Amino acid sequence: MKDRPITIAKIESGIVVDHIPAGKAFLISQVLGLNALARKTGDIIAIGINFESQSLNKKDIIKVENLSLTRNMLNVVALIAPFATVTRIENGRVIEKHKVDVPDYVGDIVVCPDRFCITNHEEVPCKFAITAKNPLTMRCHYCETEFFGPLIKYKEKSN
Amino acid sequence: MNFQGRDIISMNDLTREEIDYILSKVPEVQNHPEKSSFCINKVSAMLFFEPSTRTRTSFEVAMRNLGGKIGGFYDANITSAVKQESLWDTVKMHDGYGFDVIVIRHPLKGAARVAAEAADIPVINAGDGPNQHPTQTLLDLYSIRQTQGKLDGISIAMVGDLVNGRTVHSLTEALLKYENCHLVFISPRDLAMPRSIIDKCVKASVERGVSYVEGSRIEDHIADVDVLYMTRIQMERLQERALAEKFRSIYRLEASMLVDAKPNMKIMHPLPRVTEIAQDVDETQFAYYFQQAKNGLLVRETLLALILGAIT
Repeated sequence: MKDRPITIAKIESGIVVDHIPAGKAFLISQVLGLNALARKTGDIIAIGINFESQSLNKKDIIKVENLSLTRNMLNVVALIAPFATVTRIENGRVIEKHKVDVPDYVGDIVVCPDRFCITNHEEVPCKFAITAKNPLTMRCHYCETEFFGPLIKYKEKSN
Repeated sequence: MNFQGRDIISMNDLTREEIDYILSKVPEVQNHPEKSSFCINKVSAMLFFEPSTRTRTSFEVAMRNLGGKIGGFYDANITSAVKQESLWDTVKMHDGYGFDVIVIRHPLKGAARVAAEAADIPVINAGDGPNQHPTQTLLDLYSIRQTQGKLDGISIAMVGDLVNGRTVHSLTEALLKYENCHLVFISPRDLAMPRSIIDKCVKASVERGVSYVEGSRIEDHIADVDVLYMTRIQMERLQERALAEKFRSIYRLEASMLVDAKPNMKIMHPLPRVTEIAQDVDETQFAYYFQQAKNGLLVRETLLALILGAIT
């Protein structure tokens, strides 16, 4: 195999989201609002794409120099990357490592696909219940529409 | 069971036990000697952003029969909604005016849920677009129970536009909470029951002995069912007018088709009817749709009495 020495530097304190399917890191960054977080805090965020992986062949990886992202917030990663792992690092040492869990509910990170839903006409923050994990299926809290697959469209967090 | 202050937004929020409890209270309210003073000094806000005939009138009469008063509006064009006031703000404002309950109809799905979150007082959904119309479903269930003496094990055919009709979706989901019901869905293929509802029937077939069948001819099923639930082919939702006319002529019930019907069979319809039930059916022992509409008044009176704490 050709040597490809590009790596992402270690972080002293923060969170590493690993085992993301190749090509999904930007979407996860968008759903977690990492752009906005970086603008606000000045923290370093490194996004690696197409790294070699034994289990996934190719994988993406995200490193965030910030510890305020809670386990609940990170669980939305499971919607896009069900096999992702989250490692929490403090003072250069791993203090916690876990797989992500698909949450029972998600907040205003998805757009309701029903054009007659009130959330597409007025400023109402969306809420969804996860009704099935495989295939990932959501039910709008307001219009009660159930949807899955390509109908799941994520919002970009601006703040 | 206590319903005082509770929102009635979706049939999905009610358990079988809660539905049974509400329906069991209908005779108590009707026969109560103090019924006409149940809601004295109570006022209902009627927020009707969309036209309505039966629902609006029956809620008004229900409130009046219980001794209460009504306020609000029936035409969103005369409100600040035309100035683009949000639903949230409109509801908040009415919430602060001293009303005791809000009855809302709105063209958008989920509007009633938003209203319930905006208001401190209880909210009753009188139809949120094509989504839910829980008081219609409760009156349908009440009508079935009144005529068949039970909800478990009933055999019901739903006929017509099953893709767009919210009443048939909601009624099906409600009946799936009961045991051993047999559901027959009769429609042209273009207007068949949505896959999501069929999936729920499949699930309930294992859990609660529900069976279902899809068909395209009313005549094939009339002799087998306890309830024939007719619906209107919704002209406004079909792109091709000619197609709608064709469906209307096929899915039309006439008195001559009822010769093999079971003696207990009743024909129901959420109304308005157009051509799907011929007028000669009205005179038969099977016609129940006008009584069904009347039951709507009784069920709404009961709901208001429960929510406003007049009875428990």
